[in-house]
Amino acid sequence: MAEQPCVDLSKTEEILGSYPHEEPSLIQVLQDVHRAYNYLPCDVLVRVAEVLEVPLAKVFSVSTFYKAFSLTPQGDTIIKVCTGTACHIRGAGQLVEELERQLGIGADETTEDRKFTVKTVNCVGACAMAPVMIVGEKYWGSAKPARMSKYIAEGGNDEN
Amino acid sequence: MPTLKINGRKVAVGDDAYLLEACRAAGVEVPTLCNFDGLEPWGGCRLCVVDMSLAKWDDDWFKMVTACNHPVEEGMTVITDSERVLATRRVVLDLLLARCPETPLIQQLAREYGIEETSYQPNPEPTDCILCGLCTRVCDHIGVSAIASTNRGWGREIAPPFNEPPPDCIGCLACAEICPTDHIKFTTSNVQRTIWGKEFEMLRDPTTGEAVITKAQAEHFAARSGVPMSYFETSDKTKRLEMAKTFEKLQVVK
Amino acid sequence: MRIESKDQFEALQSSAKEREDSHKRKVLVCCGTGCLATGAKDVAEAFAHEIKERGLDIEVGLGVKSTGCHGFCERGPLVVFQPEGLLYTKVKAKRVPEIIEKTIIGQELIPGLLYKNPVNNERIPAYEEIPFYKNQVRVAMRNIGLIDPTDLMDAIAHDAYVGLAKALFDMTPDEVLDEVEASGQRGRGGAGFFTARKWRSCKAAPGDRRFVLCNGDEGDPGAFKDRSIMEGDPHSVLEGMIIAALAVGAHEGYIYVRDEYPLAVVNLRLAIVEARKVGLLGENIIGSGFDFDIQISRGGGAFVCGESSALMRSLAGKTGEPRAKYVHSTAKGLFDLPTVLNNVETLAGIGAIIHHGGAWFAAMGTDRSKGTKAFSLVGKVKNTGLIELPMGTTLRHIIYDIGGGVLKDRPFKAVQTGGPSGGCIPEDLLDLPVDYEKLTEAGSMMGSGGMIVMDDRTCMVDVARYFIAFLTEESCGKCTPCREGLKQMLAMYDAFIEGRGREGDIEKIETLAAGMQLGSLCELGKSAPNPVLSTLRYFRSEYEAHIRDQACPAGICRDLTAFEIMPDCDGCHACTKVCPTDCIAGEKKELHVIDHEACISCGACLDVCPTDSIRTFPKVELAAKEVV
Repeated sequence: MAEQPCVDLSKTEEILGSYPHEEPSLIQVLQDVHRAYNYLPCDVLVRVAEVLEVPLAKVFSVSTFYKAFSLTPQGDTIIKVCTGTACHIRGAGQLVEELERQLGIGADETTEDRKFTVKTVNCVGACAMAPVMIVGEKYWGSAKPARMSKYIAEGGNDEN
Repeated sequence: MPTLKINGRKVAVGDDAYLLEACRAAGVEVPTLCNFDGLEPWGGCRLCVVDMSLAKWDDDWFKMVTACNHPVEEGMTVITDSERVLATRRVVLDLLLARCPETPLIQQLAREYGIEETSYQPNPEPTDCILCGLCTRVCDHIGVSAIASTNRGWGREIAPPFNEPPPDCIGCLACAEICPTDHIKFTTSNVQRTIWGKEFEMLRDPTTGEAVITKAQAEHFAARSGVPMSYFETSDKTKRLEMAKTFEKLQVVK
Repeated sequence: MRIESKDQFEALQSSAKEREDSHKRKVLVCCGTGCLATGAKDVAEAFAHEIKERGLDIEVGLGVKSTGCHGFCERGPLVVFQPEGLLYTKVKAKRVPEIIEKTIIGQELIPGLLYKNPVNNERIPAYEEIPFYKNQVRVAMRNIGLIDPTDLMDAIAHDAYVGLAKALFDMTPDEVLDEVEASGQRGRGGAGFFTARKWRSCKAAPGDRRFVLCNGDEGDPGAFKDRSIMEGDPHSVLEGMIIAALAVGAHEGYIYVRDEYPLAVVNLRLAIVEARKVGLLGENIIGSGFDFDIQISRGGGAFVCGESSALMRSLAGKTGEPRAKYVHSTAKGLFDLPTVLNNVETLAGIGAIIHHGGAWFAAMGTDRSKGTKAFSLVGKVKNTGLIELPMGTTLRHIIYDIGGGVLKDRPFKAVQTGGPSGGCIPEDLLDLPVDYEKLTEAGSMMGSGGMIVMDDRTCMVDVARYFIAFLTEESCGKCTPCREGLKQMLAMYDAFIEGRGREGDIEKIETLAAGMQLGSLCELGKSAPNPVLSTLRYFRSEYEAHIRDQACPAGICRDLTAFEIMPDCDGCHACTKVCPTDCIAGEKKELHVIDHEACISCGACLDVCPTDSIRTFPKVELAAKEVV
């Protein structure tokens, strides 16, 4: 908590303004916060606890329980490798290894320059295209380790 | 008042009792770890499992349920020591012993079920925490909620927010006192108390000078009850002595 | 535009059908997540552009629609032409002008874009002749692929909300319950509980406030039917929920969608907005006086939240920890109030059941498993995709007739059903008719409908380990048997695949499995041992090979497997191109050689070798070879 940079809380107030101030709103609020800041800053969590009237310990508990949330800043582009069953047997492990080779990071890690974060996801529901990788917003089906540089280079824009 | 059979013995208990109460009424001991009278049952440790058959089921059809939170029903049959109940408890204790190989309470319970050493891989970083949740549950119960469980699965841990001294903690020690394995450490003196990395100023009894309560706890109670703080900083002994003085004024009416 | 009576609804339906019919010819471009991954959006845009440019929309009455998942993801992007019923596969945006010239204007086929049957290499132009589609009976997925999911009128033109209108105006809530009971429908999320029974017990629970929830947390890896339904026909889900609400007396509903399905959330949100505008959702639905509204709640990335009590905790803003269900959620569910929770596919079928009658649904399927079921057929099978079939269809029919058989014609080994709670079914049980009971008897379960086909290049010990590893991450950690048991099981499996297994390990796993099945708090822990027990039941010899011989018969476990290139090698270089460690040496057209020191046993070479010249052998033999 001590070492985090100060964040702009106005975005938080905006998000909190659009939900009822009660516990059931917590996860939806955290998702909007995560989208806005690319992680869950602790100042924001303190404010959320205050406004929704949920004990801070419980806010922290929820933040660490769900895989969608990161408490440390993530990379600009999130690379998700699906490790669902169909993807597993069609070689998802090799994709993760190739990413490690090219970017030097493993699952749930972020590159030094904060450009990429690699995550494994438990099934994105595109099993017929196994193995699947999602770079930013872009889905790559039947992904092959040999084409990894292309996936990373073309980034996450859905323009292609 | 439903009547049920526990290991062949008939008992009658209140409508909203759980099986555990019925077992005790029948004089049958069922081991528990995460249960505590006065707190809502949680059903997490799974040590109190028993075999249960509803009246409407076939006589040999049983379901394994936790006694601490399963409601009683008229005509229920309960067996607390069937082979599979004992086998399941053994697995639970074996697993706990692997997690907490150096914890006396777990070693003792495991021994009672015939386990001297765990069959599984012992925890390379032994802990005393059995994740029974009693600490967080009592903290919620008194309306503080300073600590909670974090992460999930095997990484689950009881911790204050951000793993830093918890802002909401009032230093009441309820969590440390309820912990069955004494996992939660604290230091306390006449002047200061420290728990979860947070330091508390102690309030001392004006008469005896002994520490009674943390300032934070007294403030918490005062705020919730409207009773002045001075009430909370007097020790029970002083309160009794004060009360005794009033007895002189009492008159016995015949 | 609000409709306030049954007559107005019927008038709306007529005008929707008229609009639909006014486009004599249609181009349907599949835009489900699978096809989008291969460029379907560009294809759809190209068609829209070309059609407008050439004025074909007016001239030939041609319309283009982006639809939900057609199901045949393997062959995407998919384009269907109506009324011809012609299917083109693997369509790229740059070929669209050619397609318009040749097929739409010239009425000619382009053979290269037609579906090629892998069984006999025949090209099949007609959608309905293709085995993948021909054998399907679509109920829950009836409109997917036919309608634009973002267009309410399109859905109405295809009979959306007809069931609702009937339930509101021609039936009492009790009659609705009777109809659902007559259908024999059972929950399609995995547990297979009778829908009507669940609704009845919620209706009987005391209290004024109650909820209808839709479980869109399809967490089984390998299953994506719920995603397709939420993306491709969101109104079918809304309709099912409103009918359920009517039957049990609820006025508030939530759809819980897992975080990993963003398009589903978008399409559902849009559908809700549209339905409210017209009066099909919200206050005074179709003027009937019945109120019901729906909100969407997104999951946070937790498989355990597919469990009903965990889902309800998540909806309440808490961690997804299940609770013992000694008191059912139909009595005390969300916020401790009576709640009905149904799976997406279950709800999607309700509109059709009320429309056509319970008896119509019950006429399909088996004795105890009525109706149709959606399956996602994936893995090592030629035609991967989403299909819906009557219960009772055999596994053989699904995998071979519809699926086209095993990929690359490799030997079939097993089909895994039921996700992490299910099991593996071997070859000699392929004639098993698929229904709830039969799958459970075989040691597996229906689950969400995921069917993962496995070939001889699959290690069953590794498969069991995969599921244990998956669940270890997804366990909430509340109860001892699941939290500690999964971790210990994973440690034992890691030992197996690394060659450190010992005699007695299998028995230890069996004892632990029994403890987890009986002692765990919720179904995640209770059914976690299923993949373990089913692989032990049918593939015990593989476990024994790992433990006794430090060998992996399938050649998958890297620590136990070495690779060798046989003399049949013709030096084509295909392997060297894919080897991640560059450990294969060899001149073009000459026998290649693997350097065992550098080889990491990933198998990429074997997978691409066109002459099948690479074989695996136990790594322990390497040491022996070296000595010699």
